[in-house]
Order: sequence, then structure tokens, then C-alpha cells
Amino acid sequence: MSQYHAIVVGAGFTGVAIAHDLALRGFRVTVVERGPIANGTSGRTHGLLHSGARYAVNDQESAIECIQENQILRLIVPDAIEPNGGLFIAVDESDLEYREKFIQGCEECKIPIRELTPKEALRIEPNLNPKLLTAFTVPDGTFDPLRLALAFAATAKSNGAVFHLYTDVVDLLTDGQGNIKGVKVWNRAADKRFEIEGDIVVNATGAWVGQITSMAGIRVPIAPTPGVMVAYDKRLTQRAINRLNKPGDGDIVLPQRRMMVVGTTSFSIEDPDYVPVLPDHVALMIERGSELIPALRQTKERGAYMATRPLIGSGAPGRSISRTFKAYDHKETDNVEGLVTITGGKATTLRLMAEKTVDLVCKKLGVNVPCTTAETPLISYRKFYVD
Amino acid sequence: MENPTKKPNTRGILDWFDPRGRRVGGWGFILNRLTAIGLTVYLYLHLIMLGKLAQGPEAYDSFIAFAKQPLIMFGEMLVIIGGLYHGLNGVRIALNSFGVGVPAQKQLLYGVLGLTLVGSLIFGLRMFATH
Amino acid sequence: MSEEKWTVNFVVYRKKGEGAPHYQTFTLEVSPEEYVIDGVERIWAFHDRSLVFAHACHHSTCGACGMRVNGVEKLTCITRIRDVTSNGGTLRIEPLRNFPVISDLVVDMSRLYVGMDKVHAPAVHPLSMAPLEGEGIKPPREVPMDDGKEYLRLADCIECGLCISACPVAGTAEEYLGPAVLAAAQLQGLGRAPDLTAVVDCVDGVWRCHSAYECTAVCPSSVDPGWRIMDLRRQVLAQRIRRWFGGA
Repeated sequence: MSQYHAIVVGAGFTGVAIAHDLALRGFRVTVVERGPIANGTSGRTHGLLHSGARYAVNDQESAIECIQENQILRLIVPDAIEPNGGLFIAVDESDLEYREKFIQGCEECKIPIRELTPKEALRIEPNLNPKLLTAFTVPDGTFDPLRLALAFAATAKSNGAVFHLYTDVVDLLTDGQGNIKGVKVWNRAADKRFEIEGDIVVNATGAWVGQITSMAGIRVPIAPTPGVMVAYDKRLTQRAINRLNKPGDGDIVLPQRRMMVVGTTSFSIEDPDYVPVLPDHVALMIERGSELIPALRQTKERGAYMATRPLIGSGAPGRSISRTFKAYDHKETDNVEGLVTITGGKATTLRLMAEKTVDLVCKKLGVNVPCTTAETPLISYRKFYVD
Repeated sequence: MENPTKKPNTRGILDWFDPRGRRVGGWGFILNRLTAIGLTVYLYLHLIMLGKLAQGPEAYDSFIAFAKQPLIMFGEMLVIIGGLYHGLNGVRIALNSFGVGVPAQKQLLYGVLGLTLVGSLIFGLRMFATH
Repeated sequence: MSEEKWTVNFVVYRKKGEGAPHYQTFTLEVSPEEYVIDGVERIWAFHDRSLVFAHACHHSTCGACGMRVNGVEKLTCITRIRDVTSNGGTLRIEPLRNFPVISDLVVDMSRLYVGMDKVHAPAVHPLSMAPLEGEGIKPPREVPMDDGKEYLRLADCIECGLCISACPVAGTAEEYLGPAVLAAAQLQGLGRAPDLTAVVDCVDGVWRCHSAYECTAVCPSSVDPGWRIMDLRRQVLAQRIRRWFGGA
């Protein structure tokens, strides 16, 4: 067991999964988060546990990650997941033209699919557009975003990780030669400022990674790309419903408790701290969503919100950027020791992102402990609050 | 997550009677608590009055004369209203507790209030008629 | 949606560490179609970075953003500003009652989580356990999934704590399990989980409830705890009566 102390900045999906992985591998772990658990992008995901089929044609690296992680998460955190599967449905001729590519892509990525006749599809999901042309079952699921994150956080906590919530990182501590040796923080709940020293700082702040790295004078190529989602007041299906086409706006509709959630859009911003929910995007969601499930038009809007994806790279438009992730060792990229940044990726691959990041941390510090998160069931998310 | 005091954010008994933001069922509860306290106070007054019996006929008669003042009669009226409300609401809650009429708890409460009003009127008229 | 703009005064409860609580007013320009949490988040983003508030999903599936808005418990992510104030009006934003305040608008809800654990409240359960009846929808109830298993769904209760905050007796009975916990016990049913009887049939269980039904009035998630507590009482009584007659 190493006695290294790792400081994780950010308690979104990546941060809590990294804290869990680090704690399992014997690190002393401190997590610093400026809000409560999963208050940024993670909490506001629509909650689709991807089968990978969405990316099987254009982004096979992400697709393969998704199908593997999908199967792992079902086993280690069943408390946060509705494992009811999903459907891809074609409602017009352009969707139907995508069919061949979709079948081939799913086969290449080993995503199990099965084609249904329109009649079969309507029998299992009676609220689908009755004009649908074909449908495929996929092993999608839906998850409760907060409780997924809490389950990782609770397990990390039970293994000794310490969480400082409502605590902002205001600066990085350096050794005088520009290397990072800790963080300067401000706990807003108690209005106290203090310093935390560690052997490694893991920057897991998603769309906000640039705010942390800029404290060390480092730029990371990150494109904060928000999307709008709208929740409606009735549960109209049991499965996640996807449009059989290349990823676009408002082409995912999924059930959550007694609601349906339609997502999402894609636009660019500079500062992810506050992003307005644009009314025309909200209108687009009902437009596009009701092409898949016409009854959405008769339901009331329950909530409208947005989340900011942390996409890697800049210059390219949102949808064309890969949804995979990247861990940067700033020693290699910027000659700054003691700082690792992880960003990109998506909720479904949170565990894998943590595994790769902690592998990198272990390699840097010469720790030789394998990752066991794929085989370790998480404890009840409620244990995060109950000692 | 450390909370320095760990004391719940409550004003205790005061929150029983705070009507702000309360709906029909909440008003039912407030009235139930108020009448309960009123009736308890009355019970003690009643015991003191009965104690006068032990002090002989004079003490008792002078008390009865005192009790015929309008203010005391108004108080007795309150006891009747409180007693009727508290008793009838008890029936409502007992019914609910057997799983009867929970979705109609508001309507039942209006019924309780109606019966209380009718009962109090009848009693009030009788009281004024006999005195 | 219209471009209508309102000016609203957010009067926000503030408390840091051991300091005394006070109220601070922030005047915001908002769209009446926005939700209360949007305003609170903007106060943090543009006016005062020291504000502490909880939120996560912004669409009522996580239960993190419960607050009192003008004295009434609300899930702020689904409470439209139009429905709780008017142009030029006030929004008094306070933390939930009956839980310890951590800071500003955040409370420590461990009381609720301890209770939910005590009754082993399921986070995910079969669709049939709490079906979606009466919603005018056509859920494929009779059709099992491909592998013959039942559909699972996330429980209705989002553990937001509004019911405990609204309950008039939860403030004077700290040990009271509270509406959400009793509702979770009822959902499982004493018939299916008889070991729950000992947890709920006690002075701080079903018998502490004084039938104010405020829990049902504030519940944002169709749980109807008031009805469920009464039904749990009925189950407890039925079990007692069966015992008197020598039944199990």
C-alpha cells in the first residue's frame, strides 16, 4: 500500500470515480468540490446509460468504451440504474438510409442489437410514433445522475477518502520551481481558508479544467459545449428511445421516474459557470421529441435545464468531436510536475476514465497496484450522508 | 459537511401554530392542537370548580353565581366549540387511520367544521334560552 | 416563450459557520418562465460567490434543491418564478426546516437517509410495485422484457426532504421517522417485509403522525406520503387484529 496523498479537484462523475479508484489502490484521498456532489455537468446529464450504439458509426472508440462500461456499471451500481434497454427507431426515409451503417457499426463494436417490426416495437412501447418504419433493441439503460455519483463517493468515503464540499480551489501551491504540491482552498460553508498539501493533484473539473490549469499557467484544449434538455410530466415509455440516425439535436427521449426527458442541443460558450437555458432550444426539444413520441405534445413541461459537455479539442463543431476522454500528465505536456488533468468522456465511461487516470498517477509515482473497480460493487449511495 | 451545532432548524412548538404556508390539513392540525391545549386548561379549571363542592354549599353557590357572568358563559361556549371540533376531528383521523376516506381528508375536515358549527349553534341557543 | 422580463427581489437566508443567520436581498432581472433555481444559481454566478446552495439534476429526479420559497417547501428546479411571485415582487428563499443548517440554503439531511436505510427503501423497484396508473398513458404492463424479467424503475421518492420540512410534528420529535421513510415502508408492504413492523409500529413511527397532510401537499414526486402513512397504520392494525385471533 502506498502512503501517497492524492488531491482530487471536482466531485462530478470523474472526480468521484477517481477518488474511489485511488482509495481502492491504497492512496490517501482528499476531494475538493466547490458545490455539492455532481452539481455541474454530471448532475444535469439526461441519464442515458449508453449502449454505444449512438456512436457505433462515427465514433467507434467511444462506442466500444460505452458497451463495455455499460455492462460493468449494471453490475457494480444496480441501485442507480433502470436496466430496461433501449430502442433505435426510424421515422423517415433518411433514418432508414442509416440502417445498414448502423447494423454494421454495432456489429463491429460488438453491441448486441435486434431488429423489430414496427408492430413488435409498438407492442412493447405503445406510445412510439405509429408511423415508425423500423426499430432496433439495444442494451441501453437509464440512470439517476446524482445517485450514480453518490454511490462512488460513498464507497470512496468508506475507504477513507475525505470530502470537502462547498470548497473552492482558489490557487495551486507550488514548490518555487513551478511544480504543484497542493491546493489553496476556501470553504464557503464555514468561510474558512486553508491549504492542503499532497503528492499529486488530479484536476477532474470537466468543462472547468481550464480554470484550474490556468492557475499553473497551462492551457488545455477544451471546448465547453452546452446542450439543453427538457423534462415532461409523464412517463410514456419504459425504455430509452433513440432516433436511428447520426447524432443530432433532440434525438434521445428517455424515461425517468414519472417523467420523460428529451435531449439535447449543442452550442459553444466561453465561460461554463452560468449558461442560460435558451427558449428556442426548449421549443426545438418538443419539436424533435414528438417526432419519436407524439404524446409528448399533450404533456406539460416540468423542467428545462442545460449541461456543459467538456469536449476535447477546439475549432471543430460540437457533434464532430469524439466523445472519448484524455488524461494529461502536465510533466510531459508543460513540464509541470504534480498535476494531472482528466477531461472529455461521458457519464457512461466514468469508471474507465478513472481507471486510466489513476493508472497514469500510479505510473508517475511508481505505485504498482492494479485497478479493481470493475469487480468491486459499490455500497449504498445513502452511506455518503450516513457515517 | 460538518455542521457546527447539529441542532435542527426548527422553532419547536412555535412551528405547530405557524399558519404560514399551511393548507387545509395543516389548519386542521393547528385547530386540533389549540383545542387540545384549551381543553386541557379547562379540565384543570373544572377540577378546581369541583373542589368547591368539598368546601361546602356557600362556596359552591357563590361560584355558580360567578359563573353566570357573560364572560364566563362565552368561555363555556369556547369549551363546547373546542370539544366538538376536537372530538369530531378525532373521529376523522381515526377513520383515516383505518384507511377510510384519506383522499377525502379535506372534505371530511369541512364536514367536521360544519358539524362543529351546527352543534355549537344548537348548544348556544339552548344556553341562552335557559338563562 | 415570450421575452418578458421581471424584476424580482430574492431575499436569501445566509449563515456561515457559527455566525448568526441574516437575510440578504439580491435584485435580479428574470424571465417569469425561468425556475427559482435558475435565479439562485445566477446570484452565485454574478452577485455573490460565497452563496452555498445544493442542486444537481435541475429536473426533479435528484431531490437536491429543496428550499422554502416564500415560506412553502418547493423543489426549486421545477418551481416557475411566475407561479410564486409577480413582477416587482419578492422571493424569500430559506433552507428547509427540521434539519440542521450546514450553511446558507444547505441542510444536513442525514436524518432522512438514516431512516430510509432503516426501512431498506428500494431505490429501484419493479414497475408493478408502484404502477403508473391513472396517468392516461399506455404502459406495456402485460409485456415482460425480452429476457422475461419485469421492468424496473427508479422509485418515485427522490429523498428531497420537503415532507419532513413541512411536517408540523417533525420539528418537535427529532426521532420521528418522518413521512418519506414511512411511505417507503408502506411501498414494500408489511406483508412482503414483515420485519418492518417493529421499525414502524412505535411512538416515533406511524403513531407520531398527526394527520396534517402537509407532506402530501408539498411532495413534488407523486408519493402521497400522507395516504401511505394512513395505509401503513391500517396494515399495522390488521396485523395486530390477526395476532389477537392467533394468526401469524
